[in-house]
Amino acid sequence: MATEYLPRLPLAFSQAALFGALVIVGLAAGEALRRYASLPRITGYVLAGAALGPQALGLISDDMLFDLRPLVDLSVGLIVFELGFRLDFKWLRANRWLFVTAIGEALFSFLGIFAVLVAFGFRPVFAAMAAAIGTATSPATVMLVVHDLRAQGQITERLLLFTAVNSAFAYVLLTLLLPFLHFENQASWQQAFFHPLYLLWGSLVAGWLACILMLRLAAWLGKSEERQFILMVGMVVVTVGVAHALKLSVSLALLTLGMLARNLDRGYAVLPVHFGHGSQLFFVILFVLVGASLEFSAFSIAAAAPVAAYILLRFLGKGVALLGFGPFSGIRPGGAGLLALGLLPLSGSAVVMVRDTTLLYPAFGRELSAVVLSAVVIMELIGPLATQFALRRAREAHPDG
Amino acid sequence: MDETAFAASAPLTLGVELELQLVRPHDFDLARDADELLRRLGKRKLPGAVKPEITESMVELNSSVHASALTLLDELETVRDAVVREAGVLNVRIAGGGSHPFHDWADRRIYPTERFMHVVERYGYLAKQFTVFGQHIHIGCPSGDAAVFLTHVLTRYVPHFIALSAASPFYQGEDTSFQSSRLTAVSAFPLAGHIPFVRDWAEFLEYFERMKGFGIVSSMKDFYWDIRPKPEYGTIEIRVCDTPLTVRRAALVAAYAQALAAWHLEERPLEPSPTTYTVNSFNRFEACRYGLRGTMVDPYLSRKTAIGEDILASMAKIAPYAARLGCGTLVHELAAGVRAGDSEAAWLRARHAARGSLADVVREACARWERGG
Repeated sequence: MATEYLPRLPLAFSQAALFGALVIVGLAAGEALRRYASLPRITGYVLAGAALGPQALGLISDDMLFDLRPLVDLSVGLIVFELGFRLDFKWLRANRWLFVTAIGEALFSFLGIFAVLVAFGFRPVFAAMAAAIGTATSPATVMLVVHDLRAQGQITERLLLFTAVNSAFAYVLLTLLLPFLHFENQASWQQAFFHPLYLLWGSLVAGWLACILMLRLAAWLGKSEERQFILMVGMVVVTVGVAHALKLSVSLALLTLGMLARNLDRGYAVLPVHFGHGSQLFFVILFVLVGASLEFSAFSIAAAAPVAAYILLRFLGKGVALLGFGPFSGIRPGGAGLLALGLLPLSGSAVVMVRDTTLLYPAFGRELSAVVLSAVVIMELIGPLATQFALRRAREAHPDG
Repeated sequence: MDETAFAASAPLTLGVELELQLVRPHDFDLARDADELLRRLGKRKLPGAVKPEITESMVELNSSVHASALTLLDELETVRDAVVREAGVLNVRIAGGGSHPFHDWADRRIYPTERFMHVVERYGYLAKQFTVFGQHIHIGCPSGDAAVFLTHVLTRYVPHFIALSAASPFYQGEDTSFQSSRLTAVSAFPLAGHIPFVRDWAEFLEYFERMKGFGIVSSMKDFYWDIRPKPEYGTIEIRVCDTPLTVRRAALVAAYAQALAAWHLEERPLEPSPTTYTVNSFNRFEACRYGLRGTMVDPYLSRKTAIGEDILASMAKIAPYAARLGCGTLVHELAAGVRAGDSEAAWLRARHAARGSLADVVREACARWERGG
């Protein structure tokens, strides 16, 4: 009995220890890639995650990924909130062409992907779902690269704005497509009718209520950065939890919260947010987990052509709209092309959306997740590079960034 | 062209340069879109010129030459509206004021022209800290001698110009307790200060050639003096003013300078005196620190007076000249403000007290610049 004070093997680590370990491994990998290969840190986080994930070393198991899901939701929540907070309706009012460009960019990439997938013989409703997912640029990737490079300027501002708009566009579109998916699966009309209604309005109302509460509290707390920072993080965490519990869209609720917090704040109660180092922590963990969730097994020779078409049409859709409308909104010559590159990152939360959809209707998974998930894998690796290249080329990255 | 040749200009004509802050609305820190803004403005036909300045967070409005401050005001309003409109397309807002209340100078990026790059190489961090915003007032002089004369006698009024325009109470996130903290950033440069006590243009040129011979300066631009002759324009340039919070105020202060110059050039009530320079740094400090409520030493009467009262006294003396130049109403308006003890620094502090954050102060300063009231 002399050794009872020693732990039994195998060791049982808490979630906290796991969380810390992932952060440190991700951090080191990101820094190494940055330092020795001049690649974006984000790529390092993703590669570290992929290496540790269930499909490689297996140090992160599928169960762990499931357990850590709330953490992913929370990270995404913080990020889309901050992104929403950057979306200034006043700018869209002052510069109508900007709004046209933003909607055009989302719409064209949607139509492009939809058309090509239908041409490949996918059923229209599935093609539309996959196209809707492809419309969105990854808020997390764009925000992290912008932060990492300390980028500032017109291309950066527009990149963030278009990302916010195309993310909102994608979330709403996905919801509106739900009835078709339900019909496809012979669900009752009640389900087909009420599910999207509940999801869309529920998420918007949740974001709106949280915003009202936050504005009131911020006004009462006063202009202290410290107190307001805690308020915001608290509000985001609660809203994520509530949206989750009510089976609403976490992203849509948080994007709504951020956008309304900026644009409904007539008394200017809320201070500008800078999550700073705090959000960096969540970025690392998010991308390590995204890396671990990447479905390399989705790759197959058969899917190669539609995957390539998916990526290409997505890029072309964005590019054509930006080149066509962009100059009217005051984008400098050459800026439209850089923006199209910058908008390349495909949302990692697309994986989550696909999973959620496949839980409801496994048919979607079999048919299309291979295409979407493969595209995600590829874009998760190319996307950050493209955004980094675009911002550097636009000379908006900080010289030390 | 020989830069030392004094290009005589119509006496008492007026022009101003205004350095403006470019602000990004999402957090009201400085933006860095000078290049894009200038590109857009370049496509519009505007009087005067809009030019880059040392960092990408600023632009400089140059007015054209005016006989009257009233037409100057009209022009400034036109240009202001155009700049505000073009900036709006880029989601950039414009503000006056001598300093941005909370920007971090280390974040500034130098506007990439050869001259500015040279300034950075030479002056290091001073160059980025030089992201402060001033109003320069040009007054036409008939000759180089007249310019030297005016430079000397107007130095007595340096505290007036500082107090009337002071609009930089906050710097690097702190209340500096000064009314104008901007001039401190200027004083750090080795060639800041004032013109030496030379008697005429010939003697001034001698000084300039000597400095050039030492390799200390290479052009007139290297002198960062409070008031300096500007031979290429045929003017003297008063450089101590903060950019006010409205173009109207900028025109009011310019009108005062013009009428003051008219009085001195025509009546010659004062002769240049070295005592002016003896008391200058004290007067300058008092004006920066306390504004209208500071005290100054009158170098001609060798006694202390309150800066505000001294301003009102000289405004009374120049009234006929202001009337003749057509800017009597403007000088009256300025005098009324002095009597009421109004200052833009006080307005900024009041907004901070009412709103509670410096981001709010910048937002309200933008709104004030944009609507002009």
